[in-house]
Amino acid sequence: MGQYMPGNSVFHKMRGTTKLICFFWILTAVLLTDSAAGFFLLFLTAGASIALAGIGLRNMGKTIARLKVFFSVIFLMNLFFFSPEQAWWSCWIFHISPAGFEQGAGVVMRVVFLLVFSRILIATTTPVELTGALEILLLPLGVFGISTGELAMILSVAVQFIPILSKEADQIRKAQIARGAKFESGHLRDRAKSVLPVVIPVFLAAFRRADELALAMEARGYRKTKAQRKQCKFRVHVRDVQAVVLSCAVCITQILL
Amino acid sequence: MKHQLSEVKCAVLTAASIALCIVLPMAFHAIPNAGNIFLPMHIPVLICGLVCGWRYGLLCGIAGPVLSAVLTGMPPAAVLPGMAAETAVFGVAAGFMMKTVHTKRLFPDLYISLITAILLGKVISGAAKALIFSAGQYSMAAWVSASFITAWPGLLLQLALIPAVVAALEKSKLIPARYPKKSGRFQ
Repeated sequence: MGQYMPGNSVFHKMRGTTKLICFFWILTAVLLTDSAAGFFLLFLTAGASIALAGIGLRNMGKTIARLKVFFSVIFLMNLFFFSPEQAWWSCWIFHISPAGFEQGAGVVMRVVFLLVFSRILIATTTPVELTGALEILLLPLGVFGISTGELAMILSVAVQFIPILSKEADQIRKAQIARGAKFESGHLRDRAKSVLPVVIPVFLAAFRRADELALAMEARGYRKTKAQRKQCKFRVHVRDVQAVVLSCAVCITQILL
Repeated sequence: MKHQLSEVKCAVLTAASIALCIVLPMAFHAIPNAGNIFLPMHIPVLICGLVCGWRYGLLCGIAGPVLSAVLTGMPPAAVLPGMAAETAVFGVAAGFMMKTVHTKRLFPDLYISLITAILLGKVISGAAKALIFSAGQYSMAAWVSASFITAWPGLLLQLALIPAVVAALEKSKLIPARYPKKSGRFQ
């Protein structure tokens, strides 16, 4: 799982809201890319972002390598099944064509770039900062009568639940291993069977914790009200403006390319 | 007597379900390609819809995949919009059906709601992918393959596991009983 990496880089100093806005611009740019020049621009942007975030190429490489099977499957599916026209090689339903190669490589590169940018966001932003940023960005939904305070509370509690439930799931998994469950060996069916006894206890543990928390909140007088918005300090630094302008420029350039 | 969850409890249970959307796929990581085969992220969304209602199901359906993509990089952003649309429909349909269907027995209610939600989710996400997210690149064969052929173990798992989990939650009194047993003394 992507973890926050403490540091002192420009990205670490930037506001969570700014990083999230930049991430959405870059996300749009990645999805719009379909030319070699566009991919080169993304490559330059990703390289500069990795250097500025101080994450390290090895760390980034590990993140990408974890998904090598997924990338291979996506590439091969596109390569063999995309188009039978002008095929380099054909056999039964399999056709290797230039269009399939181009499509497969394009999809894999887009996913790699998205992975790189989301890793940079997560590695330089704490979960609490990220939730606060989401709360600020969700504020306009209040116009439609949606309780952004409740929404932010749910997201904040969810983020805080993740490490607790992750630990709980790990403990249950170890308990099942002690009882003879085989998670990492055997046939696919056996491994699936061994996962099943983990799922129900994990759900019960999660709902029990949620029940306790809800009880504690109600006991302390928590009610759904409109005035549960925390005060937001809109102090914008020059680097925040620069980052938004740059990411917006990357997105517009992608549209023009 | 009113047998309903309070809004605060619904909100916190939804938060737990969103967290499970991230934790559960990690538990399945030992199995290669488990995400596409066992669909672990769908389970908390469907349970949230069934237990907390369509509004919270919708929130869990959207926030679960989005938070997971942001925090873990999975599902990849290219797949995210289609998946979020699918899980959002799961949450809404499960909650709405659970509110509408009353057969006076828990398991028929759960199975009717669950099967309708799964089918609706698959159809609407397929339509969304074909018309919006992958317009021109998504075929009927790809939809059948991804939704039913590759994912049949996941569908079986959902049908076996979700009613069992909801029943276990009722039994352990973590959620109120849908059809509370009447005490003989006061009848």
